[in-house]
Amino acid sequence: MTHHRDIGAGPPDEYVEAEIQRLLVEDPAVAEQGITVIRRERALVLYGEVESPHRREEILRRVSERFPDVPITSDIGVIRAQAPTEIEQLP
Amino acid sequence: MVIRIAAVGDVHLDEDVVGRFRPALEELPECADVLLLAGDLTRHGTEAEARCVAEEFGGLSVPVVTVLGNHDHQCDQVPQVVKVLEDAGITVLEGNGVVLDCAGGRLGIAGVKGFGGGFAGRCASDFGEPEMKAFVRTTTDSADRLGAALRSLDCDMLVALTHYSPVPDTLAGEPLEIYPFLGSYQLGQAIDSAPTALAVHGHAHAGTERGTTPGGVRVRNVAHPVIKQAYSVFHVGDQLDTDQVSPIGQSGSQRSWS
Ligand SMILES: [Fe+2]
Ligand SMILES: [Fe+2]
Repeated sequence: MTHHRDIGAGPPDEYVEAEIQRLLVEDPAVAEQGITVIRRERALVLYGEVESPHRREEILRRVSERFPDVPITSDIGVIRAQAPTEIEQLP
Repeated sequence: MVIRIAAVGDVHLDEDVVGRFRPALEELPECADVLLLAGDLTRHGTEAEARCVAEEFGGLSVPVVTVLGNHDHQCDQVPQVVKVLEDAGITVLEGNGVVLDCAGGRLGIAGVKGFGGGFAGRCASDFGEPEMKAFVRTTTDSADRLGAALRSLDCDMLVALTHYSPVPDTLAGEPLEIYPFLGSYQLGQAIDSAPTALAVHGHAHAGTERGTTPGGVRVRNVAHPVIKQAYSVFHVGDQLDTDQVSPIGQSGSQRSWS
């Protein structure tokens, strides 16, 4: 007999990951291609670098809104924009 | 002869970012002859976002030369975006080039956005469904136009500017599975078809800085998340202080995929 997955258990993690990755790119409020979704034991962790603190907050807000039952934590950084301190010589 | 080139890509500007780059940009005249922008200037390619780019990168005292990226195409407003940038004095390249008179000589820059397809032995082919052929032919056309533009420029030093990567070296750090969406060897082949001194690209936010084409041209990924500073500065030329010259053997050989 074939065992079917319990319907109440929600979609398998891999599909959730795929959906989150798509959301991060395709949701106009996010539009980030550089965010990585990594599955840890207790939560999905979002890693990457964005251009402003506002974007970092927006990412977490949009993902939690769309997947209220998935525990998400974020470790996203804001990219520094200072002038370089060194130059590279290319002979 | 030394030409000083500043470059950054993937600044993905919108209102929330305006002003962040400006203090560093004000220092440009002291350290660079030109600023290259390697595409993905905006988040969605809207005219409003292009105005943010114009505000941040316009009115600098060095020439600014750019290509567009895939994000700049998202809202299908490319003509409006290009117009806003050009009105701000920014030169937008797509299949053409420009020659700038710098203190160290005439700098020729040829640019295209480029496209994906993958790298030698692991790439898409011009075969099968119309969608697949259209994908591959987009890259071929782009590479052909880059090569022709590079070979057409009369200058002392030649630089190639793209959004997509011409080599896999500078993608190290990205998942191998997405390499075909990050660049194409055909862009590298175009760069090697001319006496190019340096190739600059963006797009690979998780990639690495340094690489080399099969023909030996230095490649630099200047995506903002990769360089983690407002811009990188390269001094390209043949009369450098030898103490400051980085050993050439270091480029492009490190591959640490995560
Ligand atoms: Fe980008
Ligand atoms: Fe891009």
